[in-house]
Amino acid sequence: MQTSATTLASDANVRPADAQSVRAPEPGAALTRTAVLLIGIVVAIYAVLMLYPLIRVFEDSFREFVPGRIGSQADAPFTLANYTDLLHPAYASYFWDTFRIGAIASCLGVALAFPLAYFVARRRSDWIRSVTLGFLITLMFLSVLIRVYAIELSFGPVGFARDIAALFGERAGSRFYIQFMVVLGLLHYVVPMSALVLIGTIQNINPRLIEAAQALGAAVWKAHVKVTLPLAARGLLSAFLVSFTLSISAFVIPMVLGRGKIAFVSNLIYNRFSELANFPSGSAVAMVMLVISMTIIFAVSRLASSSRFDGAPR
Amino acid sequence: MPVLEFSNVNKRFGGELAVDNVSFQVGEGRIVSLLGPSGCGKTTTLRLIAGFEQPDGGDIRIRGESVARKRPYERNVGLVFQDYALFPHMTVEANIAFGMRERGVPQSEFAERTAKVLELVKMQGLQRRNPHQLSGGQQQRVALARALVTEPSLLLLDEPLSNLDAKLRESLRIELKQILRSAGITTIIVTHDQSEAMSMADHIIVMSKGRVMQRGSAEEIYSTPANRFVADFIGQSNWFNGQLQGNRFVTDDGLTIAVGDRAGAGAAELGIRPERIAVRTNGTRGWDGANVLGGKIETTEYLGPTIHHWVRLQSGRTVHAIVQNDGQCFARHGQDIHLEIRPEDCLVLGPEP
Amino acid sequence: MKRFTDSLLGLVVLGVSIITVLFLVIPLLMAAVMSFDSREYLGQFPPPGLSTRWYTSFFSDAYYLKGLKVSLLLALTSTCLSTMVGVAAAFTLDRYRFPGREVLSAFFLSPLIVPHVIIGFSLLLFFSSIGLLDGFVRLVLGHLIITVPYVIRTTLASLVGIRKSFMEAALILGATESRAMWKITVPLAKTGIAAGAVFALAYSLDDVSVSLFLTDPNFYTLPVAMTNMMRSQFDLRIASASVLLMIMTIVLIWLLDRIAGLDNVVGQGVYHK
Repeated sequence: MQTSATTLASDANVRPADAQSVRAPEPGAALTRTAVLLIGIVVAIYAVLMLYPLIRVFEDSFREFVPGRIGSQADAPFTLANYTDLLHPAYASYFWDTFRIGAIASCLGVALAFPLAYFVARRRSDWIRSVTLGFLITLMFLSVLIRVYAIELSFGPVGFARDIAALFGERAGSRFYIQFMVVLGLLHYVVPMSALVLIGTIQNINPRLIEAAQALGAAVWKAHVKVTLPLAARGLLSAFLVSFTLSISAFVIPMVLGRGKIAFVSNLIYNRFSELANFPSGSAVAMVMLVISMTIIFAVSRLASSSRFDGAPR
Repeated sequence: MPVLEFSNVNKRFGGELAVDNVSFQVGEGRIVSLLGPSGCGKTTTLRLIAGFEQPDGGDIRIRGESVARKRPYERNVGLVFQDYALFPHMTVEANIAFGMRERGVPQSEFAERTAKVLELVKMQGLQRRNPHQLSGGQQQRVALARALVTEPSLLLLDEPLSNLDAKLRESLRIELKQILRSAGITTIIVTHDQSEAMSMADHIIVMSKGRVMQRGSAEEIYSTPANRFVADFIGQSNWFNGQLQGNRFVTDDGLTIAVGDRAGAGAAELGIRPERIAVRTNGTRGWDGANVLGGKIETTEYLGPTIHHWVRLQSGRTVHAIVQNDGQCFARHGQDIHLEIRPEDCLVLGPEP
Repeated sequence: MKRFTDSLLGLVVLGVSIITVLFLVIPLLMAAVMSFDSREYLGQFPPPGLSTRWYTSFFSDAYYLKGLKVSLLLALTSTCLSTMVGVAAAFTLDRYRFPGREVLSAFFLSPLIVPHVIIGFSLLLFFSSIGLLDGFVRLVLGHLIITVPYVIRTTLASLVGIRKSFMEAALILGATESRAMWKITVPLAKTGIAAGAVFALAYSLDDVSVSLFLTDPNFYTLPVAMTNMMRSQFDLRIASASVLLMIMTIVLIWLLDRIAGLDNVVGQGVYHK
């Protein structure tokens, strides 16, 4: 399943350009009035439910906070305070925690998902494949609350907390262990999602290539390092991108598993609204978060589409 | 009145002409083939006739009526696609009924007409099957039946045999021709395969780069190609550059070949088909008045019904000859032999008139 | 030597994969087991005895039941709406060629990359500013914008896979463009549309981040109720609710398999034998 959010579902049958012939352009009709109307309606829905609200948030982030109102006064003074406040180290730590833990979970998740994905991808259609596939897709669909609750139960105080924490030489309630729980929570999301992306990628790598490498004298592990991994690079990047996007936007996972000691930017935004009703500040945080995520997404997308990965399946 | 008149049609894609001032006509009941390599404009021509493209210039008339501006569903044309395009979510029966339904044929006639057309294509009794349960050859027949059941004025076949394996191709070729003849339907076959065109069509139009290179029967095109392209595209030839002087051709590497009375003189090309070259061993002679060239066998391929020789002439030039396997001894690698070439078998192209 | 490292690596990879799968499964199993715990309180694993007390407690709790009702109603409503909107968008994107088509499709898929908290937050701000206070309508609209992209994606994927020659065959057989669309394209895109609807249903039932902003004390979804309970009373009723949600999800996946085939959701790849 293509989970890279910005790509249109790709058509696998792309014919190479024939230099000598004149080919007809891609089939497709010219727009009709009904088509324009339909598209217009959909665009309007998106504009009303996403664009305009975001613009309001943008506007609001520059207004001064007046306690007691949802949103700010229309005539409240213009201020940059909401943004400058964020430079304070207390806020910066939220961003740092979010991106750091998100990156750790994404890298780890993709690494763990790869062998799993390889196993499924190379299997013929049999019950093992169906069950594993069904299992991965179910996990992906599973409500985040269930996962969070289950992890809290099994790795929290009622479960194996003390034993596992001891493995790391930590107490069950320490900041390290709590971060560990948050990472676990994110992994529960990241691993199935990445596995599904990578299954698609690996299935598009010619299985004969590993055999060819072996025939040329390479050990299996070396063949994979020199052949499979480079070819899977694009998919790995794509899986990382999806995982990272989800991880940094995580809300419930850090909220429940973080126990107040670890919080992500989304929790900060929520707190602005629920505890203080400080919408301007929340808006500023939201804007910063949006800009940072979009930048990362576009940068990594660009990288994944770039020609340095030519030859690798998507 | 011809069923199809295609007159001075132009079609551009981007800045390029895919179809360049092409004109032809197809008479009632005739089978015509548009033959050429990929990109020659034959598929575009097909799509223009079907209505999937609109011409930039010129006119297209079916039974006298101009259809150039009409949508495909307004033309009474049948089309068998290269991938057959049988609707996968419908049975054979439903596929065939589709056209009848869209063209307003009364429902009461469906069963009978379906049965008749399936009989025509030798697929009786398979109404309930689904396309994925049919083999390639069977799918093609159903596609043909679907196109024929609405009794169109004109039938278009897009590379009908290209998706089939070699053995099937040969047997289906003959059958297809029989079906078309018994249906009496005016047909245009688009193909890049010369044997397909030559075996199935009464009349062949050879195209290249959007233009018509030559038109005629299979024999005319083969034995008297109008230009180098047609000569090379249909069958093979050995080519020599040189000068035509009267009834002799002098090649650039010094050979003199008698070619009989020809029009024109000056720089020209001489072509000889490999199967028209006789390979004589032990100094034997076969033909009176033939050109005799000495040479040595470089390579021999024993292919069963035919034997292919590559002969190195004394001038250093290598010539390809094909002889029928008549069970007699044939020349071997390294053997010195003589080639015989009759003047009338020589193709001379391009001399100034 | 090569053979040794190969076997060693194979073992390590297998081991890691098994641990990963275990890690994914065990918490869920534990939660399921704990949901049958006979104790009245949340005690150490494993439970000494089994009972269905937590399930009865859940089903007799009006707070949870109301959330469940709202969630189901909301999921059905928003799925219907987003399927209609998504299908219209996907069909239009697939059929027509116009400048800016790629940009438009990226735009339509963009809610997937905007953090849900930001969507929830911005919608709250917007709805409050225009005085839209009805909990159900706010939730439906919020769920609409986050589920439509899934419908568009799967429907579009399905449409792109339909050979162009089918449409042309329908045209040359006498069907107009719209008849061809209804008789050929729509039936062939059915799996994509249905898969999209299933996705929309699942993500609507699951959503917390957007719903948390748009609910009020009188109108809330099951996940929101569970979240609130998790923060105040971390007890095993949540476990039984989780098991119920798990079962609903498994049913949805089974449905997805029946409709589209799981292999089609992931694809077989070009080297499929």
